[in-house]
Amino acid sequence: MDLAQGVQIVSFALLSLMMIAAALGVVLLTNIVYSAFLLGGVFISIAGLYILLNADFVAAAQVLIYVGAVNVLILFAIMLVNKREDFTPLSSAGLRKGATALVCAGLFVLLSTMVLATPWSASTASVPTTESSIVRIGQHFFTDFLLPFELASVLLLIAMVGAIILARREYLPEVLQTPNVQQQVLTLPERPRELVPAVSDSSTLTSTPGDRNK
Amino acid sequence: MLKFLKQVGDYAKEAVQAGKYIGQGLSVTFDHMRRRPITVQYPYEKLIPSERFRGRIHFEFDKCISCEVCVRVCPINLPVVDWEFNKETKKKQLKHYSIDFGVCIFCGNCVEFCPTNCLSMTEEYELSTYERHELNYDNVALGRLPYKVTNDPMVTPLRELVYLPKGVMDPHGVPDTARRVGQLPEEILEKSEK
Amino acid sequence: MNSGIDLQEIFIESLMDLGIPPGAAKAIWMPLPMFLMIIGATVGVLVTVWLERKISAAAQQRIGPEYMGPFGVLAPVADGMKLVFKEDILPAQSDRLLFTLGPVLVVIPVFLSYLIVPFGQNLVITDIGTGIFLWVALSSIAPIGLLMAGYSSNNKYSLLGGLRAAAQSISYEIPLSLSVLAIVMMSNSLSTIDIVQQQSGYGILGWNIWRQPFGLIVFWICALAECERLPFDLPEAEEEIVAGYQTEYSGMKFALFYLSSYVNLVLSALLFSVLYLGGWNFPIPIDLLASLLGVSETDPWLQIITASLGIIMTILKAYFLVFLAVLLRWTVPRVRIDQLLDLGWKFLLPVSLANLLLTAALKLVFPFAFGG
Repeated sequence: MDLAQGVQIVSFALLSLMMIAAALGVVLLTNIVYSAFLLGGVFISIAGLYILLNADFVAAAQVLIYVGAVNVLILFAIMLVNKREDFTPLSSAGLRKGATALVCAGLFVLLSTMVLATPWSASTASVPTTESSIVRIGQHFFTDFLLPFELASVLLLIAMVGAIILARREYLPEVLQTPNVQQQVLTLPERPRELVPAVSDSSTLTSTPGDRNK
Repeated sequence: MLKFLKQVGDYAKEAVQAGKYIGQGLSVTFDHMRRRPITVQYPYEKLIPSERFRGRIHFEFDKCISCEVCVRVCPINLPVVDWEFNKETKKKQLKHYSIDFGVCIFCGNCVEFCPTNCLSMTEEYELSTYERHELNYDNVALGRLPYKVTNDPMVTPLRELVYLPKGVMDPHGVPDTARRVGQLPEEILEKSEK
Repeated sequence: MNSGIDLQEIFIESLMDLGIPPGAAKAIWMPLPMFLMIIGATVGVLVTVWLERKISAAAQQRIGPEYMGPFGVLAPVADGMKLVFKEDILPAQSDRLLFTLGPVLVVIPVFLSYLIVPFGQNLVITDIGTGIFLWVALSSIAPIGLLMAGYSSNNKYSLLGGLRAAAQSISYEIPLSLSVLAIVMMSNSLSTIDIVQQQSGYGILGWNIWRQPFGLIVFWICALAECERLPFDLPEAEEEIVAGYQTEYSGMKFALFYLSSYVNLVLSALLFSVLYLGGWNFPIPIDLLASLLGVSETDPWLQIITASLGIIMTILKAYFLVFLAVLLRWTVPRVRIDQLLDLGWKFLLPVSLANLLLTAALKLVFPFAFGG
């Protein structure tokens, strides 16, 4: 084992450890902002794994799209929603938990059969490193993967058109808009403030502006 | 289709115009770069205050007749005049006089109205202190004469723009004898008397 | 085409002559250029800060720093020293971990991007195939750090600044990468070395500045927006949101933000010179000059001169662009957030798309001039 191999093994171990820890953090932490930031960590570790697989373009694309766009958008959504909600266990959790467990187990079984069924040894035999990975990706996109590629772009186009229609209010039907406007005229989208319990007896007489939001 | 093309054309025209304006702005900024800096290196160089400069007020204790005109004309009745009626001479005798320069706005009304000319404006403007109460000058502090910038050996005095010779914009290296642009006050006076 | 001097090969060979195995020799070599580049980038920042202060002063008819060293060159060093010795304040109720992690996440990708900045044929840390795309990808990490800093400061100005920075960064990344894509299409490669190589040969006439006039403008506007330079410095708009995401920072953490913003500016200028101004190329091709003077291509002196001239040319071009950025800073007023997004999405994006299409069409029609 020479130096390069050692570095590879160590970095693989580090990256996998980082990825698993970050992924567990995403799921288990109660603070949603931490989860979102850790998700970025997961994406970056995946990019590192791609680099170890000699797929430098895919790694860069992973960073650009997942970290730079998706994760930032998730963070945006979290930070623009001014609502801090504590986690409360649902009452009818039994059925949901069972369904979740079923789906997760199914996914796990599916992935493990895939891992077992794939002939891994074939890929390590001879990787043509002379050709740039970008060229090969391009060739695949425009020959044997043309249909999925085009379908994905059409899907993205549909999503974009949908987003534009949602953003431009004149295309929405009138009926949906009118009742909303009248209701929300006086309410502020703020978190309701707690009253200071200093004057607990006479607090009914003095009403603070925060009351109205409750 | 034609309307759309026209819109695109208008937009492009606007963009080109905006680019032109930014280019003009850049040329102005660039032009400023070759101009001489107007900096006065303050503790080493100081501008000579103008003749009508309204600086710290000077007060002459012996001239004051405690008439309190200065208090009445002051926008905020700032000067504190402490006097006592002397029964023997039947005159007011001044005991203390003070002006708080932390509050004063240097409007010069008191100087203007003082009947005995015991108040005057000086060219002192370096009034900064570590505590605001130090700015409350009593009659002793008010009676001190300011140090002239031109007499300070540590300082290079610089003339202000209006006191420079004709056509000179830079005060550095202008000799003392160089006459400033326009007529001097005494010349104007002479002419008006004729 | 002569490839010039290859420091790496010479270094490794001389180490191997001393009896060190090739793997170890390579391992000894590897940190050297990285270390050199980090030092170079930091010194570049000091120079940029000094230039910024001096040029700003000149544009405003002032003198600027004067008494700190000759012409005030030590002013940025003094700034840095002050920031190092300043107390590191942690605001109450802030998120300690994220507050520390934010500036780190902003700085690291910027410095990592220096991996691909070439100063000569072999004067680059790594010539990786992804090249310029790596820079685009890495620069998209910074908004996460900014959001982190904005969120963890527990301050509304900081949060607003962080959100603005992220919005600005992701919306200007798209036209930026599209204008880079047009260049890539002409040079058939993402590698920065190949991009410069494709522009060399005809001196100043071969540079991309003539082939990509629209792409150049779009790239420069987007680069300014990515660096949060003045027409687009909304995330730090003093009058509106104090200092944006930097409001609560002090000491070394603030210094990291400051450093990253200037490193980013120098990096953008360097990459602009690589993409559009022919990188390390001299306005007149050196081969031509050498053959006119009758000097052999393999002459070691010529190679050394070529290499040092390449470094000087790259840095000169970059600093010319920094100068332009400073001049623009005192010329153009700050845009509003809606104007910023309008400019990004309604002007730069269509223009860069049209530029891309035009480049593709021209490439098909004139393959000799636009990289067949």
